[in-house]
Amino acid sequence: MDKRENKLSSHILLIIGAIIMLVPFVWMILTSFKTITETTQLDPFVIFPSKWRFDAYKSVIKQMNFLLLYWNTIKFIILRVLFALATATIAAYAFARLNFKGKNMAFSLVLIQMMIPSQIFIIPQYQMVSKLGLLNTTLGLVFPGIVTAFGTFLLRQAFMGLPKELEEAAKLDGCNTFQTFYYVMLPLVKSSLVSLGIFTALFAFKDLMWPLIVNTEQSTMPLAAALAKLQGQYGSNYPELMAASVISCIPMIIIYIIFQRQFVEGIAKSGGKL
Amino acid sequence: MKKLFASKAEKNEFISGWLFILPTVVGLVVLNIIPLIKTIYESFFKTGAFGKGNVFIGLDNYRRLFTDEEVWQALINTFKYAIIEVPLSIIIAMFIAVLLNKKVKGRTVYRTIYFLPMVAAPAAVAMVWRWLYNNEFGLLNYIRRVVGQNPVNWISDPKIAIIFLALVGVWSVIGYNMILFLAGLQEIPKDYYEAATIDGAGNIRKFFNITLPLISPTMFFVVVTRIIAALQMFDVIYMMIDKSNPALKKTQSLVYLFYKHSFIQSEKGYGAAIVMLLLVVILLITALQMYAQKKWVHYE
Amino acid sequence: MRIKKILSMTLLVTIMLTFAACGGKNTADRTVKDNNSGSNDKLVVAIWDKNQLNGLEEIIDGFTKETGIEADIQVTPWDQYWTMLEAGATGGQLPDVFWMHSNEIAKYAEYEMLLDLTDRINSSDKIDLSKYPKDIVDLYNWNNEKQYAVPKDIDTIALWYNKTMFDEAGLAYPNEDWTWDDFKEAAKKLTKSDGSQYGYALNPGNNQDGWYNMIYSMGGAVISDDKKTSKMDDTNTIKAIEFAASFIKEGYSPNYEVLSENSVDSLFKSGKIAMVILGSWMVNDFMSNDYVKTNADVALLPKDAFTGRRISLYNGLGWAASANTKNPDNAWKLIEYLCSKEGQQKQADLGVTMSAYEGTSDNWKNLYPEVNLQAYLDMKENIVIRPYSKSTVIWENYATEKLVDVWRGIITAEEACKSIASRMNELLKQE
Repeated sequence: MDKRENKLSSHILLIIGAIIMLVPFVWMILTSFKTITETTQLDPFVIFPSKWRFDAYKSVIKQMNFLLLYWNTIKFIILRVLFALATATIAAYAFARLNFKGKNMAFSLVLIQMMIPSQIFIIPQYQMVSKLGLLNTTLGLVFPGIVTAFGTFLLRQAFMGLPKELEEAAKLDGCNTFQTFYYVMLPLVKSSLVSLGIFTALFAFKDLMWPLIVNTEQSTMPLAAALAKLQGQYGSNYPELMAASVISCIPMIIIYIIFQRQFVEGIAKSGGKL
Repeated sequence: MKKLFASKAEKNEFISGWLFILPTVVGLVVLNIIPLIKTIYESFFKTGAFGKGNVFIGLDNYRRLFTDEEVWQALINTFKYAIIEVPLSIIIAMFIAVLLNKKVKGRTVYRTIYFLPMVAAPAAVAMVWRWLYNNEFGLLNYIRRVVGQNPVNWISDPKIAIIFLALVGVWSVIGYNMILFLAGLQEIPKDYYEAATIDGAGNIRKFFNITLPLISPTMFFVVVTRIIAALQMFDVIYMMIDKSNPALKKTQSLVYLFYKHSFIQSEKGYGAAIVMLLLVVILLITALQMYAQKKWVHYE
Repeated sequence: MRIKKILSMTLLVTIMLTFAACGGKNTADRTVKDNNSGSNDKLVVAIWDKNQLNGLEEIIDGFTKETGIEADIQVTPWDQYWTMLEAGATGGQLPDVFWMHSNEIAKYAEYEMLLDLTDRINSSDKIDLSKYPKDIVDLYNWNNEKQYAVPKDIDTIALWYNKTMFDEAGLAYPNEDWTWDDFKEAAKKLTKSDGSQYGYALNPGNNQDGWYNMIYSMGGAVISDDKKTSKMDDTNTIKAIEFAASFIKEGYSPNYEVLSENSVDSLFKSGKIAMVILGSWMVNDFMSNDYVKTNADVALLPKDAFTGRRISLYNGLGWAASANTKNPDNAWKLIEYLCSKEGQQKQADLGVTMSAYEGTSDNWKNLYPEVNLQAYLDMKENIVIRPYSKSTVIWENYATEKLVDVWRGIITAEEACKSIASRMNELLKQE
C-alpha cells in the first residue's frame, strides 16, 4: 500500500512538473495562430484562437528565408563538430597515452581555457575575424570553436580509462603511433565521441553572443541569432514572433526526439568523473 | 655530448606527441591565450571610434570600474540570479531525477518533456516567456485577474524582475541537470538501498544517507558548472529586458554590461576591464568551491 | 578496409572544405568584400525600416532599368543598424549606399568614413541642394565644407485619435483650434475608471514624437541655436516636461511599467488608448492594421494656449555612401537617382515617406485616403529640426534615461531637467 501511494504521488508531481515544462510551448503555438488583435484582447481574453490562421506563418516565411537560416545553422554546426572532433581526438590521445617533454605544460593551456569565461576572448577574436575578412562568413562563425579545450579534456578522460596493454599489443602487430591511435584506440571511445559531438552541436546551436557580433547580414546568420534580431523588427507582433519561434524550434526538437538516446548519453557522459 | 632523448623511441614519441597536440595547442594559443593577453592589454586603453585612435590611460578604466555604481549593481544582479537559479534548478532536478529513477511508467516521455526546454532556441524561450510575463496581455496576469488578484509587473518591477528572470533560467536548465543526476543515480549500487531497507530505513533516511553522499561528485560537478554558467548570464536579459524597462538597472548582468560597453557604446577598453572583473570573480568562486569540495564531496 | 577509411577521410575533408568554400562564396556574391573584384556591379544598400523596403525596391528597379546597375537592399533593425555599420567601418567593409541619421553623422564625418559628395553634387544637374529643407542639408554638411549625404525624406509628427472612443464619450474630434489644455481635457474624459481605456499614452522611448513637441510649442527648447548650451533647464521646457508627466501622474495614461513593456502603437492598435502622438514613419505600419483603419484618424498637433504655437519636430534621413566603396561612381548614380526630383516623387507616390525634395510630397497622403494624412503635410508649416550636436547620442540617451524617473514619479521634472542640462553642457563644451 505504501508503494502504491508513493507511485501515485510521484506521478502527480511528475505530471504537474511536465505541465509547467510544456505550458510555454503550448502558448507559443497557440499565439502563433492568433491575430494581433486576439493577442492583445483583454475582454475577453483569448486563449484559443477563434480560427487557426496561418497568416503569421505565411508572413514570417516570406520575410525570413528559413531555408537559408537552417542551412547556415547546419553548416555552422557541422563544421564546429568536425573541427572539434578532428583536433580534440588526436590531442586528447597524445595527452592521455603518450609521454613527451612539455606535455604537462601544454595541457595546462587546456585547463586555463576551461577556467576562463568565454567573454574574455570575444573582442580580440572579433578583431581577428574582422582583419581576416571573415565577418559574415560561416568560417567566421566557426572560428572560436576550431579547437576545444573542453572536448580535449573530455576525450583525455576517456582515453585514460582504457587498458594500457592495448598499445603494447598494437605495437607488437607493427602499428606506428598514428595507426595505434586510429585503428585501435579511437573506436574504443566512440561513445565519448558521440557525446562530444552532441554537446558541441547543442551549444553551437544555442550560441547567441558570438553570432550576433560576427554576423550582421541575414545571408550568413544562424537561426539563434536571426531569431533574436526579430524582436527589433516585429516589436509587438507576437503572432509573427511566435510563428518564427515555432519554426525555429521544430527541427531541433525533432532531431532530439529521434536521437534521444544519444543526447542523453552524451550529456550524461559529459558530466562524467571529473 | 648530452643526449636530448634517451632513445629513438623517446624521440619518436616526442615528435608524434607534439604533432598530435599541435593543432589544438596552436588553436588554444591563437584563440585563447593571445586574446586573453590582448584583452588584459586593451583594458588599459580608451577605445576610439572605428578602432582608431586608442589612447593609453593606464588604470583609469579600473578606477572608473570601482566607482561605477552600474558595475557593482550588475555584480549584485548576477549574484542574485545565480543564487536563485542554481540551487532551485539543482534541487528540483534532483527531486525529479529521484522520482524518475524508480522505474516509473512513461519514464522516457517524462524525460523528453523535461529536457525539451534545453533544445529550444534561446531566443524563442525568451520571447515566449516575455509574452507570458507581459503585464497587460500576458497569460500569467490574466490568471491572476481571474482569481481576483492584481496584475504583477513580473519583469518590469525592479524589485522582483531578477527573480522571474532567474525562474526562466531554472525552467530551461532543469532537464539538463536532471539527466546528469539520473546518470549519477544509476551508478549507485542497488544493494546499498536493499541493505538499508533491511536495516529498517525509510525513504528519507535512504536519501540523505545513501543517495546524497554518493551523488555528491556529480552534484559537485553540476554546482560548479552551473554557477560558472549563471555568472556569465547574458541571453535571458538581452532578450527579455528593453532599454526602457525600469528594471534594467536591477537586472543587467556583468556580461550584459560588457556587451553594452564593448559593442553598443564602442568602449571596448572599458568592456575589457569589466570582463577582467568577471574573470577574477569566477576564479575566486571556483577556488572556494574546490576548497569546499573536501568538506562535503564524498569520493569512493 | 584501408581504402574505405582513406576514402571516407577524403570525403570528410572534401565536405568540410566545400562547406567552408560555400560559406565564402555566398557572401562574396552579396558584399564588396572581394579584394580582387574589378567592377562588382551589384551595390549593397543598407536601411533600417522594413516598412520602406517594398517601395524602395521598386524605385531601385527603375534605377536598374535605366542604368543597368543592380543594387541589393538589406534591412537591419534600428537597434543593430549602427552596430552593424560600425563593425563594417572598423573592418573596412561598409555597405556602398546607406541611410545616415542626425545622431550619427558627426561621428562618421569626423572619421571620414563617408564619401565626400560635394563635387559630385555641384556638377550634377539632378541635385539642387536649394530644393531640400535647409536644416536637413545642413545636418549632413560637415564644417561648412563637405556634404556627406543628400536629404532623402522628412518626417513630421501628428495626432492619431480613436474616432469610436470619441463618439462613445460624446466628444468632438480634435480640430485646429485645439490647445494642449483641450487635449488634456479630452484625455481625462476618455479615460475609463476600470482601466480598460486611457486617454493618452506618452512614448517614453522616443523624444521626437513625444515631449519634444510639447517643449517647443510651449516656448522652450532642448538646445540653443548655436548648439553651445543646453536649454533643458529653461522654465518653459520644465513646464512642458511636467505637462507630459502629468498624464501618468493623474491617471490619464497607463503607468510607466505598462508603457515599458508595451509600445504605445501596440496599445493604440489594441484599443486601449484614445490618442497617441506619432511620427509619419509609423503610417504604413498603422494602416496595415485593420482596427486602426476602421477606428482611427489623424489631426494636427494641439497648439499652446499661451504662445499660440503649434510645432512638430522634424527630421530627415540622408543617403550616404561609403568612403571606401569599390564603386563610387555607381554609388553616386544611385544616390543621385534616389534624391532627384523623379526619385523623390516616386518615393512619395508609392507612399514610402514624405520626400525631402520640395513639392514632391503631396501625393504621399493619397496612399491612404481613409485617414487625414494631410495633417502631417500641414504640420510642415510649423517645424523645428530635431535637436542635434556632435555628441547627440550621448546626451539624448542620458536625457531619455533621466526622464524615465520623471515618468515613474520618482523625481520632479525640474530636478531631471537641471541634471540633463548640466550633463549636456559638459558634453557641448567638449565639442
